[in-house]
Amino acid sequence: MTYTLISVSSVTYAMKAKNLLNGMGRYCEIERADRNSRTGCGYSLRVRDDPSEICGILGKSGIRTGEQRTVERGGRP
Amino acid sequence: MRQIYFDNAATSFPKPPSVAEAVKNAVINLGGNPGRGGHVFSQAAAKAVYDTRAECARLFGAEPENVVFTQNCTHAINLALKGIARPGDRILISSMEHNSVARPAFALTKKGVRADVAEVGKNDAETLENLRGMMKSDVRCVVFTAASNVTGRLMPIREIASLCRERGVCLIVDGAQAAGAVPLGLGLGMNFICVPGHKGLCGPAGTGLLISDGEYSLSTVIEGGTGATSGELEQTGFMPERLESGTLNTVGIAGLGAGIRYLNRVGMDTVFAHETALCDMLIAGLKKIGERVYRTGDRFVPIVSFNIGDIPAPALTSRLSEGGFALRGGLHCALLAHKTLGTLPDGTVRFSPSVFSSERDVAALINYLKKISETGFLPIEI
Repeated sequence: MTYTLISVSSVTYAMKAKNLLNGMGRYCEIERADRNSRTGCGYSLRVRDDPSEICGILGKSGIRTGEQRTVERGGRP
Repeated sequence: MRQIYFDNAATSFPKPPSVAEAVKNAVINLGGNPGRGGHVFSQAAAKAVYDTRAECARLFGAEPENVVFTQNCTHAINLALKGIARPGDRILISSMEHNSVARPAFALTKKGVRADVAEVGKNDAETLENLRGMMKSDVRCVVFTAASNVTGRLMPIREIASLCRERGVCLIVDGAQAAGAVPLGLGLGMNFICVPGHKGLCGPAGTGLLISDGEYSLSTVIEGGTGATSGELEQTGFMPERLESGTLNTVGIAGLGAGIRYLNRVGMDTVFAHETALCDMLIAGLKKIGERVYRTGDRFVPIVSFNIGDIPAPALTSRLSEGGFALRGGLHCALLAHKTLGTLPDGTVRFSPSVFSSERDVAALINYLKKISETGFLPIEI
């Protein structure tokens, strides 16, 4: 299974995003980012759907997203 | 002796059983630091915190990220007022403010901010006229209580917000007594609402909220670890972390969430009707025995201020305490309000029931007050 990790700036935005996406019936789990972003610390959303579409949905709710990385199940980014 | 608690305007008691359960559950199961790691303990705590944040956001018509957890309402007011006012600005506060507003405003005057008091009039129209007359171009911010903590009088917040919007002035509302009693949300037009978690929202002590509409970015009063942007020395720029430095009160926040859910379950209208009926009962009783009730205005949250003859309020409340009734007497940390009411230096006795108060308890209080009124006051010998 392939996932996409989308970084968000804080656990609050991560929780908001998860609630929003789960509420729409879309898969989303929260992970602590494997690597710190440029500014340090952060959380990632693990999603299965098209990341551009997901970022569009989140953006409309004021959730800013950062970099995206594709991950194979069991693998590392 | 059984003690009957009528001091819910200070802090509500007892708390709903579900609040105690939530607090206990948090102590046992939510031990991680929310937003400070990826492990299951941290994530579980973060979820509990977010769930309450979202609950609060729904209640006040805000986005979850614009709900900031604070220690209490005073903390929230300080964050808002000191975060918005800059040297050279002018701020206006009402003449019925609690010291939680008056003292930070006074402190700001030592830092180049001008603070003036807008008189609350005999009615809403007069109050609005007084405020309108003071809205000059240098006014940066207005702080108004939604309901007086002394008399319970509700202020015309929607109209005040409209006036502030017209003039491009920030409005901070002190919702200490109104939150949980009457609908109070950003839909009324204010920019910030400051509320305690431990009064009308039925949460534990040590909880409060600063709710923002997101229009103004506040300067910080406290900086530190936020669990975000840790690679920069500059304080986190986004909400709510910007204003939430240090470890959050997970236990209290979990309890607050349970308190709000309890309020939603019972219904704010139901609680308000019950408490207002008890206030009306007391007022009728006090009027019958010919004592003074302080009730100027049209609409009130469930608070009644009164005096019995010329007995000083602090002494009367000591006497009531001996009789098994917990009411608060004195100035209620509201110097300006008592100055406005003409009740300095001894203030008033304040009655504030809760959803758990009963007619029987109020009848017992009226009976006790009647005896004091009829027989005169016996000073407590020390």
